[in-house]
Amino acid sequence: MLQAILLALVAMLGNAEYLFGTCLLSRPLVMGTLTGIVLGDISMGVTLGATLELAFMGAFSVGASIPPEMISGTVLGTAFAITTGTGAEAALALGLPIASLVLIFKNLSMVFILPMFVHKADKYAAVGNYKGVERMHLLGGFFGVNLIIGVIVGVSFYLGSPVIQGILDMIPAWVQKGLELTMGLLPAIGFGLLMQMIMNKNVACFFFLGFALSTYLKIPVTGIAIFGAIVAIVLVQIKNQNKHAVETAGVSEGDEDDDF
Amino acid sequence: MMTSNTVKENSMITKKDLNKVALRSLSMEWSWNYERQANLPYCYALIPIINKLYKTDEERAEAMKRHLEFFNTTPHLSTLLLGISTAMEEQNATEENFDTSSINNIKIALMGPLAGIGDSFIWGTLRIIATGIGISLARQGNILGPILFLLVFNIPAQGLRFFLMNAGYKLGAEFLTKIEKSGLMESLTYGAAVLGLMVIGGMTAENVSINIPIAIGSGDEATTIGDICNGIMPGLLPLAFTFVVFFLLRKNFKTTTILLLMAVLGLAGAFFGFLG
Repeated sequence: MLQAILLALVAMLGNAEYLFGTCLLSRPLVMGTLTGIVLGDISMGVTLGATLELAFMGAFSVGASIPPEMISGTVLGTAFAITTGTGAEAALALGLPIASLVLIFKNLSMVFILPMFVHKADKYAAVGNYKGVERMHLLGGFFGVNLIIGVIVGVSFYLGSPVIQGILDMIPAWVQKGLELTMGLLPAIGFGLLMQMIMNKNVACFFFLGFALSTYLKIPVTGIAIFGAIVAIVLVQIKNQNKHAVETAGVSEGDEDDDF
Repeated sequence: MMTSNTVKENSMITKKDLNKVALRSLSMEWSWNYERQANLPYCYALIPIINKLYKTDEERAEAMKRHLEFFNTTPHLSTLLLGISTAMEEQNATEENFDTSSINNIKIALMGPLAGIGDSFIWGTLRIIATGIGISLARQGNILGPILFLLVFNIPAQGLRFFLMNAGYKLGAEFLTKIEKSGLMESLTYGAAVLGLMVIGGMTAENVSINIPIAIGSGDEATTIGDICNGIMPGLLPLAFTFVVFFLLRKNFKTTTILLLMAVLGLAGAFFGFLG
């Protein structure tokens, strides 16, 4: 029981990396080590952490993609491997599916629970209550994700690996697939909100330009930004020249053209 | 240009304020959500600046609303944009007819490219170096492995965070002073909208994914609806989908409703197999 609580705290500390500068506390290398310390086998924890780190090497968030929930995967995988005396294979065999399962919970929270905090923050912001906004940020992260991961890890360790294995086998494949598909749709909301903010008739075409540059020419966003900056500068220059030309109409025509 | 010990002449913003924002930026992914991503953390980080520059609730409300809009970039580099936002908010606080929409336009225009650089530098390079060092020691059960891993990653990454806060503010302040003197503010707003929309267009293409794998025809002739759409224009489905969402938002649909609809669509799509 005490160990279950301590492991829950380890998991919460791992997730708290998002409060402390995305400092990689959640990586298997660190989580495995801390799990080893809790269960009294440090060197085993470090070694298993290294194994899982390699397995999760490609798991990090780029853009809006969220990697498997490594914290629960590592802590539980390592803990079960140490307590049952099985090796790295057992840690991997349990760690990977747990990580994908808990990711479902995490995603659900980031889709439904955290936006509730954001909406509440909108309300506070509308009346200039900055303390309310701050509170929504701090509480949202804690109740929305941190505590949930802690509870999942603590309860799972307490129940033991056979029960967890049973639960893992029960999740139908289409649920996971469906949530994956949903994750592909969700960014449209953010971009829709942004478009609502800046788009007007005069500049709407540039959205399509950016989109087409990406889909047809496969130019990454940085490249699009470079082209975008050039287009913006050229257009601003033309606009100002026109203005200038109108102001000084008939006085010194042709001078500017020599610069080209 | 600028005297060495003050950040900017006659500025209300001190180095201490900037560091406060950088410190708050540590929680850039804490309340990350699928609706507007790192919007709440961004606003949280800027609150000391907002409070210092604006004294009435109305002004503060406007500023907070601005910074609760969609935001996402590599967290360790977010301070560059926080610095620029700080400079722009300061300009807005001191100048009567500053166009506030440029504050968000600049932020939006820069966050995508910054993430491009940041993801490859922070995640692709620095993290890999730190992991390599950490794992080589940890494999033998050496506790120095995870410790070195954290140090090698965090000293440069967090150092950069504080450096970029100051750099972003200086850059923004210098740039804005120049713009103001030459009376180009209107051009800046327009240019920022052009650049911002192109970046949003590119990010939409990269991030929104939807495909309809329903087959049409049989044998060698078989093709899917998704393929036909891509034949007309690559990314037609994500583009159309984003516009549907855009119009729903225009019709004042609640974002929560849209989130729910998307989850239903995704789950139903997987169950019946019309999405893939």
